[in-house]
Amino acid sequence: MDTLQLLLNGFAAALSPVNLTFALIGCILGTLIGVLPGVGPAAGTAILIPITYKLDATGGIIMLCAIYYGAMYGGTITSVLLNVPGEAASVVTCIDGYAMAKRGRGGTALGIAAIGSFIGGTIATIALVVVATPLSTLALKFGPPEFFGLMLVGLCLVTGLAGRSLVAGILMTVVGLLLAMIGIDPVRGAPRYTFGVPDLYDGIGFIPVVMGLFGVGEILATAEHPIRDVVKTNFSRLLPNREEWRRSFGAIMRGTGIGFFLGLIPGVGAIIPTFISYIVEKRVSKHPEEFGQGAIEGVAGPETANNAYANASMVPLLTLGIPSSPTIAVLMGAFIINGVTPGPFLFAEKPDLVWAVIASFFVGNVLLLILNLPLVGLWAKILDVPYQYVCVGTLLFCMLGAYSINQSVFDIWVMIGFGLIGYLLRKLDFPLAPAVLGMILGPQLEKSLRTSLEMSAGDFSIFLTRPITLALLIISMAIIIMSALQMAPKEIREGSAD
Amino acid sequence: MKLGWGIATSCLLALFGMALWLAVWGSLPLNSRPLPMRDALGPGPGFFPIWLSTIGLSLGVLLLIQTVREPADRDAASLIPERAACMRIISILVLLAGAALALDPLGFRIAAFVFSVLALLALGIRSPLAILAFALAASVGIFHVFYHWLKVPLQIGPFDHLLKPLGL
Repeated sequence: MDTLQLLLNGFAAALSPVNLTFALIGCILGTLIGVLPGVGPAAGTAILIPITYKLDATGGIIMLCAIYYGAMYGGTITSVLLNVPGEAASVVTCIDGYAMAKRGRGGTALGIAAIGSFIGGTIATIALVVVATPLSTLALKFGPPEFFGLMLVGLCLVTGLAGRSLVAGILMTVVGLLLAMIGIDPVRGAPRYTFGVPDLYDGIGFIPVVMGLFGVGEILATAEHPIRDVVKTNFSRLLPNREEWRRSFGAIMRGTGIGFFLGLIPGVGAIIPTFISYIVEKRVSKHPEEFGQGAIEGVAGPETANNAYANASMVPLLTLGIPSSPTIAVLMGAFIINGVTPGPFLFAEKPDLVWAVIASFFVGNVLLLILNLPLVGLWAKILDVPYQYVCVGTLLFCMLGAYSINQSVFDIWVMIGFGLIGYLLRKLDFPLAPAVLGMILGPQLEKSLRTSLEMSAGDFSIFLTRPITLALLIISMAIIIMSALQMAPKEIREGSAD
Repeated sequence: MKLGWGIATSCLLALFGMALWLAVWGSLPLNSRPLPMRDALGPGPGFFPIWLSTIGLSLGVLLLIQTVREPADRDAASLIPERAACMRIISILVLLAGAALALDPLGFRIAAFVFSVLALLALGIRSPLAILAFALAASVGIFHVFYHWLKVPLQIGPFDHLLKPLGL
């Protein structure tokens, strides 16, 4: 069956009343998560996984994906009205979005963000349709050494782009990988790091860890610094004028390209495309001095890149089984809980499901535009809810989500422990994304490494004799070296340049 | 860089790496069986963890050295939240722990209700009506949606026969 036929079948499934309802609920919940500061998309998606337990796999995954891109949309509202990003990728939007809101043009900022997000998301989904099948066919030819190399590239990118210290980034990756080692060894069945505790034989649950690091950790940080006042803005004029359209069009197109191509690379987080888009817009603008004072391109470009990235980052997940960000890692965990393993076999084994999910991205983008443009004032009202209620509600959902996976109080303890760890690591500027990706990729990385070495009877040269693996290892090394040079103190950089 | 905090974290991470490293070699009392590095089929269950914990341990030490050598450009005390914020954070953690302890013996509804009331009070909400309304919605409401509608198994607790006639 050709791609178009598969996509049409997918649309038939995605537009069925039941799945359409799931997509709508997912979009509403996702936008709500994005709007609420202190609840990021990773924690928000994790919290809402229990909702999908009793749904069929297609409906459940459609809803979770809608929550994900809904949260990417919703994060803009707090960036513009509060100067507080609802999710990390909306950080850049704070600069010009908030400046526009202070000048009474918050409605236009939110309007162009919604339109740009719609265009970026839709074009990225079209590109996803085009590249998904060839990429998954190519991935089917990959053996364990190639997968090991690919996962290593992903981890190196997350580590290298994570924060101010490369050592801290690698350390957090290692911590994540080690956490994944807890439990029964997947290859030989030997217990590791269980210390005689029966609850540890199944390993530490990924979802309670994410809820702790991103949910409880964020709530503790919010409790430390309660939210500031909301800027009152006029929502009667959402659509940009002719001049603003002219200035935004190029930004939206460039943002789409940047977001899509960076979304294809496993390991590039959602923040990078938005920053690159902002820098590009400032460079190409005829009025760079307006950036920071409320330039509409500074909102249109990054917001488009953000949503193009969100849709494109599904490509490595669906075709290679490699998550690009903590939120995508949570989605991957949710896929697995729903009995679906992302990766190259997904397109061959469950084409109905995967194409229904892809078609739902188009549907979700339309739903989000409808929800965001006319109802933006309603979403903004949510910001008036005192943070105390948001805190307590989120904590209860975290507790419920952690408990309901295995009906185990031990998972709640794991969540609380990682909540405190997440809060402290945040304060100490340690990046959390590498730990999360390390934890979700750990078992696969180990399996690929050990299977590769079994193939070669323990000879490490297997990684050097296969061209694709060798290329991937060189890329990994290059990423680490470039990151190290970038983060090195200025004197060392100047010394090496000399 | 926050010198004191950085050193403390590095030490903890280095210790963490060391503990895991020792655990692989069977040197910790509760993990007395060493994990083999290799077996007949190839790399054994200890192969990956030993490499990881060695890297982790080395990086912990490296970070510690980096932190000590780096000039302190921020007051370490600024990382400690002010008293009121500190109390809010401790209250949240203690109440979460209490809710976790109460979940199995009391059930979700009562544990969530008590948690909501105490957490809202700890965070500064003083309106009894608002607290009661929120706590009821957050406990009984969530239980109803998840347990009855979404069929998510939650702890019922010993007071179900008392709550049911009240429509809770």
